[in-house]
Amino acid sequence: MNAAVTPFVESMQAAAAPLQLPGSGPAWLDDARRTALQAFVERGLPDTRNELWKYTSLRALGQRRHTAGNPDAARREVPLDLLPATSAGAMRIVFVNGAFRADLSALDALPGGVTLQPLSLALLEQPEPLRFLLGAYTNEDDGFTLLNRALAADGVVLRIAAGVRVADPIHVVYIGLASGSMAAWHLRSLVELGAGASVNLVEHHVGQPDAGHLANLVHDVTLRDHARLGWTVVQTAGAEANLVRRSDCRLGDDAELDFHALELGGKLARHELRVDLTGARARFTSRGAFVLHGRQHADTEVLVTHRGRDSVSDSLWRGVADGRARGVMHGRILVLQGADGADGGFYNKNLLLSSDAEIDTRPALEIYADEVKANHGATVGQLDDTMLFYLRSRGIPLDIARRMLVRAFCTVAMEGIAPAPLREHCDTLLSSQLPEVAA
Amino acid sequence: MATQPDEVQAALSRRYTAGFVTDIETDSLPPGLDEGVVRAISARKGEPEWMTEWRLAAYRRWLTMKQPDWAHVNLAPIDYQAISYYSAPKNQPKSLAEVDPKILEAYDKLGVPLHERARLAGVAVDAVFDSVSVATTAREQLSKVGVIFCSMSEAIREHGDLVRQYLGSVVPQGDNFFAALNSAVFSDGSFVFIPKGVRCPMELSTYFRINAGHTGQFERTLIIAEEDAVVSYLEGCTAPMRDNNQLHAAVVELVAMDRANIKYSTVQNWYPGDENGKGGVYNLVTKRGDCRGADSRITWTQVETGSAITWKYPSVILRGDRSVGEFHSVALTNHYQQADTGTKMIHIGRDTKSKIVSKGISAGKSQASYRGLVKVEKGAVNARNHTRCDSILIGKRCSSHTFPYMEIKNPTAIVEHEATTSKISDDQLFYCRSRGIGEEDAVSMIVDGFCKQVFRELPMEFAVEAKKLLEVSLEGAIG
Amino acid sequence: MLKIENLHARIAGKEILKGLSLEVNPGEVHAIMGPNGAGKSTLGNVLAGRPGYEVTAGSVSYDGRDLLTLEPEVRAAAGVFLAFQYPVEIPGVNNTYFLRAALNAQRKARGEEELDSMQFLKLVRGKVKDMGMPPDLLNRAVNEGFSGGEKKRNEVFQMALLEPRLAVLDETDSGLDIDALKQVADGVNALRSPDRAFVVITHYQRLLDYIVPDFVHVLSAGRIVESGDATLARELEAHGYAWVREQAHAEAQA
Repeated sequence: MNAAVTPFVESMQAAAAPLQLPGSGPAWLDDARRTALQAFVERGLPDTRNELWKYTSLRALGQRRHTAGNPDAARREVPLDLLPATSAGAMRIVFVNGAFRADLSALDALPGGVTLQPLSLALLEQPEPLRFLLGAYTNEDDGFTLLNRALAADGVVLRIAAGVRVADPIHVVYIGLASGSMAAWHLRSLVELGAGASVNLVEHHVGQPDAGHLANLVHDVTLRDHARLGWTVVQTAGAEANLVRRSDCRLGDDAELDFHALELGGKLARHELRVDLTGARARFTSRGAFVLHGRQHADTEVLVTHRGRDSVSDSLWRGVADGRARGVMHGRILVLQGADGADGGFYNKNLLLSSDAEIDTRPALEIYADEVKANHGATVGQLDDTMLFYLRSRGIPLDIARRMLVRAFCTVAMEGIAPAPLREHCDTLLSSQLPEVAA
Repeated sequence: MATQPDEVQAALSRRYTAGFVTDIETDSLPPGLDEGVVRAISARKGEPEWMTEWRLAAYRRWLTMKQPDWAHVNLAPIDYQAISYYSAPKNQPKSLAEVDPKILEAYDKLGVPLHERARLAGVAVDAVFDSVSVATTAREQLSKVGVIFCSMSEAIREHGDLVRQYLGSVVPQGDNFFAALNSAVFSDGSFVFIPKGVRCPMELSTYFRINAGHTGQFERTLIIAEEDAVVSYLEGCTAPMRDNNQLHAAVVELVAMDRANIKYSTVQNWYPGDENGKGGVYNLVTKRGDCRGADSRITWTQVETGSAITWKYPSVILRGDRSVGEFHSVALTNHYQQADTGTKMIHIGRDTKSKIVSKGISAGKSQASYRGLVKVEKGAVNARNHTRCDSILIGKRCSSHTFPYMEIKNPTAIVEHEATTSKISDDQLFYCRSRGIGEEDAVSMIVDGFCKQVFRELPMEFAVEAKKLLEVSLEGAIG
Repeated sequence: MLKIENLHARIAGKEILKGLSLEVNPGEVHAIMGPNGAGKSTLGNVLAGRPGYEVTAGSVSYDGRDLLTLEPEVRAAAGVFLAFQYPVEIPGVNNTYFLRAALNAQRKARGEEELDSMQFLKLVRGKVKDMGMPPDLLNRAVNEGFSGGEKKRNEVFQMALLEPRLAVLDETDSGLDIDALKQVADGVNALRSPDRAFVVITHYQRLLDYIVPDFVHVLSAGRIVESGDATLARELEAHGYAWVREQAHAEAQA
């Protein structure tokens, strides 16, 4: 298991030693961080022999040394146009190059029953409640989650008390600024909704075009019985950014997770979304789209486990790859014994627009119960010629017709994004990202 | 009133009708494998030097490889030194008239038409008993049109140049662990050569049977269809009931030149082990077709009901422009059987098409997985694929998995995959029962309907056999 | 022939039938009418033995046997036939094969000789012709790709072939145009005989213009609240189901 120690691993190991991470002191936390680092050094970054990383090679990344965080991130000036307009005036927590920025956040007017604070602060104030989540170790860890466990310096802690239904959305904004050297940062976020609680969470990734960095984000999401989380990810990170995200979600009885993602930015944008439908009648819906060009690489893994009776999952994803881009999609539905009445669906359609682009898609069903319905479908193709012709016969120029159709192809992924202004914002972003398709 | 498969499951157990042992004298090598054994096999068969060297190269390659560890197959470690790599009936026949009557009787029990019946049935049969081919029928009629249909051993002796040209050209010696092992120790198999422009006048068929205990069967089949040639080839497989696991690691290579058409059908009914998972054949097979010529077509059709473990992915390399690959499969597992099967369609040429239809039925405590790859290479302009995988589960303790991979590198490709998994429909079951049809009959009726699309691809006699096999295999799955 | 007493039944824990009683004698045609959700289809399904329907009280006897303990195929062999409201499609299963399997299973259960394929083909082709069914019906899969109307007509066709003694028609008229409705009614009327009974479940009176019932029952909230002759159906048509509910309510008050 001892992976060759690559420059990346070496640099992380070196960075860890002198690092003063927030909250250090409690033995359990220091130990957990040390153990995780050791495990990471042994294991290294995931390689393509790992089924979940089959189509995403980290060889180039592994050869680059990275600094731990960005020392002046807490003070750097942020161009105001980077802050998403939709988050103005809303509850907001902002991180710049991995560091919490109180000056850009808006945490003063939280409704009753809502806890929203940076992890660094939560660890200083009251580390004990976080012990279980930060100390836990699972065999589903990969190099990134280990690294995150070892080096996470901050993140979001969001808690909604039982029964509290938060009307206004909460925005989390991750900003990447150019920093001269290749920086890596690790953020760990905890989201917990009490029984019957509900909230909409909007996660933005933005950045300067030349900001090269690696952001390693891990989310732990727990929805207690009857809780509902609406979670929208709007990813327009800078063209040089590497984003590696892993989200582990557990849903109790009748809990509901409604997930949307628009993946437009980044050089490497990976998200491994794991959803464990533990409770009876737990429900997960996901809608998402990626539109890639240049040399972008996006890899979305949606891994759903049906454990509870009558649990439902329904996923619908769209992918568009142009230029030399590569889009990777993996949707796995695992139905365990005892999950009778489970109903799982995963559908993925892709458009391949260039002869140098590639799509790799992989839906999978693993079924261990018989009272189930599980379906999946995946396609890779082009724009429909008859539709194109129809539009052109009505006088629409070819390039506009193509853009219209690509946009229409993706809109299905944005249905259901709430509130309406956010949906319109996503639509605008999508339109601006549409490839300048050559005729 | 609801279906209670579990209760009845216990009450009934499957009948394996091909599980008899034929008592004949055999010439076997002692268990174990080293270069000496490889040489001994080659020598027993009177092979030329190049063939011995080819085997040895494969053996050396094999030594460097590891038995694969698959995510969804529980394959106990195999002791390769405990297997006998060669077993042949002692009195090697020169012609059909000299074939040991006991062997003929064995094939008779299996319903294989070896004698005159074969000709009447319009089928030419090559029968492989343990390691060697014992009889090839209808040869004269075939040789009139230039078709060569004989055992692989004979082909190596009589048609060495052809064999040398094509052997390993589709499945190289080091392709995978079991293909390497097969390349080193294969004992026999069938060889088919259809010359330019010839439409093979009858169905060709091979019947494989493992008889001796503790032997592995490693047959090697090579089919070459030259320009404009057409051939339909069927294989059937059975083995006696034995408590220990028998290893079957075959390699099949198909080569289709311009406009050639090869249809390869399999009804696999190796002994699946008993209802407690004891015994049964490990069926670990590499099958690959190469659509080398333009407008060529290769069709794989398989009905897999036997074996304790099945591991095979009959594949097509769509090299020639406008070539077509098809894969039609029914895989039924019951008790403790495990089947991991599917296909690979590699699109290389322009305007290539592939079609995949897979039907999985799992019952008892069995596990059936579909694993497939559709790959469209950069130059494969206008490639088309359509894949349809449906699975049904019968009972609470079986499982069913679907793992398709799609790797698309050409923007003119259209690739579509759809899959469903569910239990056998209560509504359909009730509908049949409300018309007076008993539950077990209703289930086999529905399962047969579920598989119809694949059965249609089989030659008539095999379709009937496949349907019967399905019924027998399902026994004990339902009440 | 059929005697239902104080039948209570539920599905998925919800009680649908709440004390239904009905007696049907050979040769009679009973119409069961009622608003949506009254329990009409539940009655048909319970009689045919559909899994998932739980009888919590009451009894159903058929020719003196306890019908509720019999498996669906045994009921079919005993002559009970349900024309489904939504006949299911069974892909790949050929109609001829299906019908022959059904007929022979029933004959065998009754101790009659099974038909060989020639005898059966002759019989079934004759029925296809009599019933005006499209000849390609026999080559198609069971209900697969049939329109709604075709499925309903196919149910009546199966009934004609299987010659049940008690036929329950579950909203066989719904979704039919007037011509198809007449064909269905003709099929039923042709089968009417002194030793065969029908229970015709319908939402509308329309069908009863063509199949004239001996008795009409109004089902509401899981019970029969009103019984009468064919004129009752016409009153219902004129007044609507609200009228019945009022009547029943008034009765309960009294």
